[in-house]
Amino acid sequence: MANILIDGLKERISNAFKINQSIGILLPGNNYSDLLQAIFEHIINQPEDAWIYVTVAKPYDILLKQYSFLPDANNIKFIDCISRAAGILRSDPNCVYIESPTMLEKIGLEIMNMFKEVDEDVKKYLILDSLTNLILYNDPGIVTEFFYHIVNITRVKNIHTISLAIEEEGLEKHLNRLIYLNDKILRVRDSFI
Amino acid sequence: MENEERLVEENRICKTGIEELDIQLGGGIPVGSTVLVVGSSGSGKTTLCMQYLINGANQGERGVFFTITEPLFKLTKNMEGFGFYNKKLIESGMVNLIDLRIISERLGLDTEKYTVEDASALLDILRDIADELNVKRLIIDSITALCYRLQTKEMIRDFIFKLGSSLAAMKCTTFLTSEVPPMTFQYSQYGIEEFISDGIIFLGDYERKGDLLRTFQTVKMRGAAHSRSKSAMVISAKNGIELVPLLKSRE
Repeated sequence: MANILIDGLKERISNAFKINQSIGILLPGNNYSDLLQAIFEHIINQPEDAWIYVTVAKPYDILLKQYSFLPDANNIKFIDCISRAAGILRSDPNCVYIESPTMLEKIGLEIMNMFKEVDEDVKKYLILDSLTNLILYNDPGIVTEFFYHIVNITRVKNIHTISLAIEEEGLEKHLNRLIYLNDKILRVRDSFI
Repeated sequence: MENEERLVEENRICKTGIEELDIQLGGGIPVGSTVLVVGSSGSGKTTLCMQYLINGANQGERGVFFTITEPLFKLTKNMEGFGFYNKKLIESGMVNLIDLRIISERLGLDTEKYTVEDASALLDILRDIADELNVKRLIIDSITALCYRLQTKEMIRDFIFKLGSSLAAMKCTTFLTSEVPPMTFQYSQYGIEEFISDGIIFLGDYERKGDLLRTFQTVKMRGAAHSRSKSAMVISAKNGIELVPLLKSRE
């Protein structure tokens, strides 16, 4: 069942990436791990593209442990916004650590600084994981402003953006407002795949 | 852009070398300006000044940094962690670091309070050093500590005015750091420094959910069509000071 789900997700993600500049993926919490699996498998199968993964949900270390093929991938770098706030002190050349998920301006700056190091002709992708977690640490208004800013600047710089939103009770109004800033929205449901 | 390059060539603007700041200033600081860099402890005043000085040296402009608030070994040790720091620029004399307290001692000045004659002697030595080294960028860190030694407001006004005028004549662009208490909106301890300065850069703090973000704002810059917008200021070992628009949604 899990493999069918992941394969279905991979296909949908792959097709959406080809066409759209920015994609929002709205999913229930129980599909979150499968979605990450699908995204990371898609990334390692596109070694010529450059990816930046901003994690506000899971520490970088946990991602490395859960997806054991990740350390071998040369085309993805991470911005970890959660480890420092959780008291995890580690450094890794493949990851930039931000002190707190409230440092939104710094997150934006690090994204652009990392992409500056990528050759002009390489396809660039940004994954924001997740809008839900950003709202948990910040007021929704400021997350909206941040996301507007990110979507606009990445469009100008020709960077594809994929933002995840995990459905959570009480946050639907904010998540819907944010997710609709994207060109394309994928709603993940077990029954649709 | 072409206009900006022409102004740099004509020696009319001094590029700080901090990309976003130069954009905000419409290219850079008018040459010969005296700029007050205001902020509380930890706001990034010294780092901003040092980066400005080193960026200038990299463009071929000699600079001098007069420190009063911390010994030279501490200053250099703190700067060694930054990517912009280049020891060779100091060894070659492009960047000169001078402890003003040592100069004061050598001049036989009272270390606590200066008389009018003391202040005049100090002013002369600062001008002589700037002239002899042919510096185009000069820092006094901090003007607050120096003003503390001047006994009246008139002396402070006279000192800063004469210093600024002399350095402007040498086409030297000066940064004076001004220490203020945290979370306050004042530009100086003595209420005079800002009126004699050509520019004011205010480094502040902004609290978001208990975390402190650094902010940057150019309050005044005579002769420059500058932005007065507040930016978030990020200091990193790799890039030093970087500015990004501050998110302003009401929290």
